[in-house]
Amino acid sequence: MFKFLFKKEQQVQQLISKYLENLRMTQEHFEKAMDCYFDFGLGENCDFLIQQTHKFESRADDIRHEIIEMMYSKVLIPESRGDILRLLESIDLIPTHFETVLFMIQGQSLKVPDFITPEFRELLRVSLECCDLVIRQVEAYFKKTEDIKALVHTIDSHESRCDHMEREIVRNIFDSHLDPFEKIQLKELVIQMGEISDQADRVSRSVHIINIKHRV
Amino acid sequence: MTSLLGGIFLGWSLGANDAANVFGTAVSSRMLKFWTAAILGASFVLVGALLEGQSGIETLRGLTSFTYDQAIIASIAAACTVTLMTLLGLPVSTSQAVVGAILGVGLLNRQLNFAGLGKVVVCWIGTPVGGTVLAVIIYKLLAAIVNRMNLNIFQSDSLARLSLITAGSYGAYALGANNVANVTAVFVGAGMLSVSAAALIGGLSIGLGILTFSKRVMETVGKKLVRLDPFSAFVVVLAQGVTVHIYALVGVPVSTSQAVIGAVLGVGIIKGVNTIQRRTLVSIFLAWFVTPLIASIFALALDFVTHLHYIPSH
Repeated sequence: MFKFLFKKEQQVQQLISKYLENLRMTQEHFEKAMDCYFDFGLGENCDFLIQQTHKFESRADDIRHEIIEMMYSKVLIPESRGDILRLLESIDLIPTHFETVLFMIQGQSLKVPDFITPEFRELLRVSLECCDLVIRQVEAYFKKTEDIKALVHTIDSHESRCDHMEREIVRNIFDSHLDPFEKIQLKELVIQMGEISDQADRVSRSVHIINIKHRV
Repeated sequence: MTSLLGGIFLGWSLGANDAANVFGTAVSSRMLKFWTAAILGASFVLVGALLEGQSGIETLRGLTSFTYDQAIIASIAAACTVTLMTLLGLPVSTSQAVVGAILGVGLLNRQLNFAGLGKVVVCWIGTPVGGTVLAVIIYKLLAAIVNRMNLNIFQSDSLARLSLITAGSYGAYALGANNVANVTAVFVGAGMLSVSAAALIGGLSIGLGILTFSKRVMETVGKKLVRLDPFSAFVVVLAQGVTVHIYALVGVPVSTSQAVIGAVLGVGIIKGVNTIQRRTLVSIFLAWFVTPLIASIFALALDFVTHLHYIPSH
C-alpha cells in the first residue's frame, strides 16, 4: 500500500538481487576456469575464463559501490544500513578469493600433480557448494523465503569438511616426493582454496546474527 | 493580548522542549526530515488542544480562584521557573511549574482546592509508573505480532519508520490535549479567555515553539532515545503518547519527559537491561518537589513586588 513511500528501499533490494546474481555468474566462471585448468592445464581457454571471472568480480564491486551510494542517500535507518553494508563487504570477499586462486595459478604457472587432482576437485566442489548455500541464505534473509538457521548448520558442516580435506591434501603433498618449493606453492593454493568455504561460513554466521538482531 | 505573553512564552518553550519526546527519535535517526516532523507535530498539537484540551483547563482553573493580575503573575512565575531551571540545567516539568505557581496564588488567596491538588499529585506520580507499565504491555503485545509477520530488513525498516511517524503524531496530539492547560488555564480562571479560545491560543503557542526552536532539542534528546533499537523507540513513543493521553482524558497536565523516562525503564525491564541511570530517577523526584516550590516562591515574590507602593516621605 505504501510502496511509493519506499522507492529507494525497493531500488536497493533490486540492486542486492542483481549483486547476488552477479556473484552466481562469477562463481560459474570460476568453476569453469578451474575445470578447464584441471582438465587441460593453463592455456588460452583457461586465460579467457580467468579474465571473465575477473570481469564479473569487478562488476560485483561496481554494484556494491552503487548500493553503498544509494544506502547513504538515507535508505534504511543507520543501524540496519551498517549491518547490510558490512554483510555485503563480507560477501564481496568470496569472489575476491576466487580471483586470488585463479591469479595464483596463472601468475605462478602452478601445476597440480595428477595423484592429487581428484582431492583438489573435491575441495573445490564442496567449497562451491558452500557458496551456493550462502547465496541461497542471503537471498532467504532478504526475501524471508526459508529457514536461515537450518542453512547455517549445513554451511558449517560443509566448511568443516573443507577444513578436513585441506589438512588431508596438505599432508599428502608433503608426503609426496615433489620438489619442496612446489610443495609450498601447492600448500598455499590449498589454503587459498580453503579460504572460500571459510569466508562463506563467516558470511553465513553474519546473516544469522543480523537476523537475530533484527528480531524484537 | 500583552497580558497573555507569559502564557504564550510558556507554551512556546513547552513546544520547543517537549516535541523532542515525540519526534526526537525519528528526526535524529534521519528517518524523518525536521520540517516534516515539525509541521506534523505543530498540527497534531493544535488538533489535540482543540479537541481534548478542555478537561485539563477545567482542572487547573478549579485549583483556586484568580484575579486578572494573579493569572498573569501565575503564568510569568511558571515561565520564570522553567527558564531558571533550564538555565541551571535542572530537570523541569512545565506542568509542575504551572501547578506550583497556581499553588502560590492559592496560598495568597487562602483558597486551595485540595481534592483537585491531590488528584494532580497522584497523576504526577502515576506518569512514569504508567509509562513503564504501558511500555511493558505494548512491547509484549506488538513484539508477538511483529515476530509473526516474518518481515525482511527492508519491510521491518519501513514499518519502523511508518510506526514512528504515526506514534509521533499521536504523541503530539496527546501533548496538545494534555499540556495546553499549562499554557492558558490560568487565564480562563481569571475570566480573560473562554475555554475554546484558551485551547486555540495554547495550541498555537506550543506549535510555534515546535516550529521555531525544537530542532536542536530533537537532535540531542532523540540521540539518547535512538540508542534503543527502532522497535523499542517506537514502543517508548507510543507508551508515552498513551500515558499522556490518558491523563488528558482525566484532565491533569503531566510531564511528557517523565512519561518517556518511565517507558524507557519499561523497555529496559523487558530486555533485562538497565536503561535508566539512578540519577535520572532522582531527578524526577527532585522535579516533583523542587519545581512547584520554586514556582510558588516566584508567584509569591511577584505578587509582593506588584503590590509595592511608592510612599513619598514628607
